[in-house]
Amino acid sequence: MNAGGFSKMNELVEVFRLLEFQFFQHALLGGTIAALACAWVGLFLILRKEAMIGDGIAHTAFGGIALGMFLGVNPILTSLLVSILAVLGISYMRRKGLAQSDSAIAVMLAVGFSAGLIIISLAGGFNVELFSFLFGSILTIDQTDLVIVSILGISTILILGIFYKELLSITFDEEDARLMGIPVRPLSLAFNLLVAITIVLSIKVIGVILVVALLVLPGLSALQLNLSFKGTTLAAIGIGILSMTTGILLSALYNVATSGVIVFTAAGIFLFTAIYKRLG
Amino acid sequence: MADNSQSGVMKKETPILEVSNLYVNRSDSSVIEHADFTIHRGDYVGIVGPNGGGKTTLLLALLNILPRTKGTIRLFGQNIESFSDWEKVAYVPQHAVNFDQNFPLAVRELVSLGRVNRSNMGRTLKRNDWKAVDEALDFMGISEIATKRIGQLSGGQKQRVFVAKALVRNPEIIFLDEPVVGVDAETQEKFYKKLSDLNIARGITILIVTHDLTAVFCRMSKVMCINKWVNVAEITEALEPEEVLRKAYGEHFHFVFHGHECRRVFEDE
Repeated sequence: MNAGGFSKMNELVEVFRLLEFQFFQHALLGGTIAALACAWVGLFLILRKEAMIGDGIAHTAFGGIALGMFLGVNPILTSLLVSILAVLGISYMRRKGLAQSDSAIAVMLAVGFSAGLIIISLAGGFNVELFSFLFGSILTIDQTDLVIVSILGISTILILGIFYKELLSITFDEEDARLMGIPVRPLSLAFNLLVAITIVLSIKVIGVILVVALLVLPGLSALQLNLSFKGTTLAAIGIGILSMTTGILLSALYNVATSGVIVFTAAGIFLFTAIYKRLG
Repeated sequence: MADNSQSGVMKKETPILEVSNLYVNRSDSSVIEHADFTIHRGDYVGIVGPNGGGKTTLLLALLNILPRTKGTIRLFGQNIESFSDWEKVAYVPQHAVNFDQNFPLAVRELVSLGRVNRSNMGRTLKRNDWKAVDEALDFMGISEIATKRIGQLSGGQKQRVFVAKALVRNPEIIFLDEPVVGVDAETQEKFYKKLSDLNIARGITILIVTHDLTAVFCRMSKVMCINKWVNVAEITEALEPEEVLRKAYGEHFHFVFHGHECRRVFEDE
């Protein structure tokens, strides 16, 4: 083996040594929970043709983060509150015929983001912590963050698991689901609240700007594989977790921005599955 | 004329759907006016009429999906507003087969959605649910494509899959809206034969919107003509199809029926 090979081996050994550190364990655990929730929620979002609601809520959540930092409260909690309000706002505008889905999302996105800007300017400008919410900071996840991420993530996964068949029924044919007595409107609202929760729990991991990638790319990749619904769901979750863990390890190996590498890995897998579909 | 003895076997003359003085508007224009009719248990009803005549509107109103302007609808003796036995009712909409071709669902998964209802919310499907799914697949002759993705099916297979989805909930009445559009004549004929089997063997009441007049007059027990108003006629030897249809379609339409066509249909079986 040449010298370059040795150095690569050493780097790899270094990465595995990182696993012994608590901050790295937190990153992997928090990242896996976020990836799982994002991939599952995201697959439903894609099939409901509502991927943009993910981006809209993520930008609105930015307003919540700014508010939390301004008030000195945990920003994840305030962004959760603001995101839930955004979902309710979008749902209200649609129901009352004030705006179509995409326009309602655009309004909420703009209002939430600009509220964030105003609060930041009142507080005297950007700081490093705010940056970490914008672009994620998975290696700085502390015990409190991990507890919040775990509670939110596991609740989301449980609720999705419990109402899996009803959500599938509504997603495939809303009219038929309504005819079968499934409460379509409450379940759709509940699903959108899960979207908000999933986004908020992923903010520390990947940041508000890139969270939509974690929602959409694993599901899109899985859809290229021509599997059943169960197969597609499992594949999306697998791809999400694979992108996350590979991204974290690669970013540690090459010392580059973690969220960027996670998204690039997910995009690479998407490209690979798209080529596979074309060739297959 | 038609040999309707087959459809009449299970008939018990129990009213299952009673409609009186029904008016339905869509976008402020009147689509259905003064509809009065009764459908009995075991009826096999062909719904015919010109495009835009109100066939789909009537179905949607009967299912309480579209609001009505006036009149009453009673399903299984209950007023439609307070009707709660939706498990007894199945509906295969016109757009059923126009789903997103990339939707990741296998045939067996799609059919199992027919078992999802209010009473089993939040619980996984049980063994007896999956048994019903497999029986419905078997009855419709589509067991061998159970694991196939729904986007990969032919037109005829799609129809049978959606009827299996409707059947899996063991309904007592099925509404089908033009399920055979865009499918070749032979597949259509097989499909109507399958519906006859359902009607005869299981006594399921069927209402089907169709343009296939031969199928209506050869296989079904009643014809419902719709062109704003609704006229239901029992199909008997004495019925003059042309007379019934001309009322719905207008004087300038010409209908050709040959008695031997119906005989041919049944001889093939």
